[in-house]
Amino acid sequence: MAGRVIVITSGKGGVGKTTTSANIGTALAKAGYKVVLIDTDLGLRNLDLLLGLENRIVYTIVDVIEERCKLKQALVKDKKNPNLSLLAAAQTRDKSAVNAEQLKEICDTLKDENDFVLIDCPAGIEQGFQNAVAGATEAIVVTTPEMSAIRDADRIIGLLEAKEEIKSYKLLLNRVRPSLIKSNDMMSVDDVVEILSCPLIGIIPEDTGIITSTNKGEPIVNDEDALAGKAYRNVAQRILGEEVPFLDLDEPKGFMAKIKNAFAKLKAKV
Amino acid sequence: MGLLSDIYNTVAKFFRPQEEQGDASKSVATNRLKLVLMQDRTNLTPKILEQMRGELIDLLSRYVELDKELLELNFEQEGDQVALMLSIPVIRAKDEEEIEAALRAEAEKLEAKLENLSEETESDNNEEGSEDYSAEAGQEISETSENETTGMSTPDGMNSSKNQEESTEECHSEA
Repeated sequence: MAGRVIVITSGKGGVGKTTTSANIGTALAKAGYKVVLIDTDLGLRNLDLLLGLENRIVYTIVDVIEERCKLKQALVKDKKNPNLSLLAAAQTRDKSAVNAEQLKEICDTLKDENDFVLIDCPAGIEQGFQNAVAGATEAIVVTTPEMSAIRDADRIIGLLEAKEEIKSYKLLLNRVRPSLIKSNDMMSVDDVVEILSCPLIGIIPEDTGIITSTNKGEPIVNDEDALAGKAYRNVAQRILGEEVPFLDLDEPKGFMAKIKNAFAKLKAKV
Repeated sequence: MGLLSDIYNTVAKFFRPQEEQGDASKSVATNRLKLVLMQDRTNLTPKILEQMRGELIDLLSRYVELDKELLELNFEQEGDQVALMLSIPVIRAKDEEEIEAALRAEAEKLEAKLENLSEETESDNNEEGSEDYSAEAGQEISETSENETTGMSTPDGMNSSKNQEESTEECHSEA
């Protein structure tokens, strides 16, 4: 079996790389695929927290590289889904503890026994990014509809284009707020896609559920009702090659929203 | 409270004129972002862009009278292609005599400059490579064209004032 190795990257920090990794990984595992998540953010690991696995980590990626344990021993199985496992980053070391060669080797080994190897990339474009990208053949660039995030995503896309190993890269637009787009205070999905001229793989709405799901250590894809969860499940399906239409984020959710909508329409007529 | 303020905002918005809502921050962000990305991608710094703008103004001013303050130099992106968009408000076209006069004046200036230059370089030691010479000549040419702009009317602070000062100084020394 030769699995796919996908790096999840962004340039800017705080746009949702780790949340995206956790959710896509969980969604793919729920769909029956064997998935390994690798946290490459040495010294600032967080993927374990989002998955609720922080108390189960014994060995980290640095232990594997420095041969204190076997690769298999360092993989932590998810609580709910045996298809999903995590290779955690070392919290007490920095980026220099690992090099690109070593990470590529780990990815190559893992992809033989898994359908997907997802790499959670650290922010920035330095060594940590170079390491994370080394073993991957595909990339998902996470950005938000904000200037700074888009600018950084543009840099990342430029760097990915220069890498021969990366065969395809797609854009995931996170934290979209339809109400702000409607009032022309946020760049629309089309604006961002046009500026970056990069194919889209997902649109994730801003969702307070992300905060509560992080609090609980349970990815939001497990919540059947959450809109962001649904959006992430759709991303997973698109990764699997299915054609899923993008969510219509304009749908009014509650009574108040409907009234506001009616007002907006009335105003448009006048 | 949230509900009440929602209602208030909706009602208030309803009565506000359209224009007030129209100049939303989104288009500002999009435009700023496009420009900054183009600079990132092409390594065109704001300084170079300003220089380019200045030189374009000089060139076009020979033929038409421009509203320099309203001249816009932007990048536009269509798919993968990037276009340089120059929007020039023309006040009036110059007639042939004016154009010829402007060209002649400039040609004379250039000739004088070149003569000066070749005399200087001949009297200078011959060790300097030909590359240096051509680079210097190029500089002189751009400076003369800047002289012309200053003569016509000093453009606002948009133009790099440093170069302007240099060229005016030189003008005096020549005179």
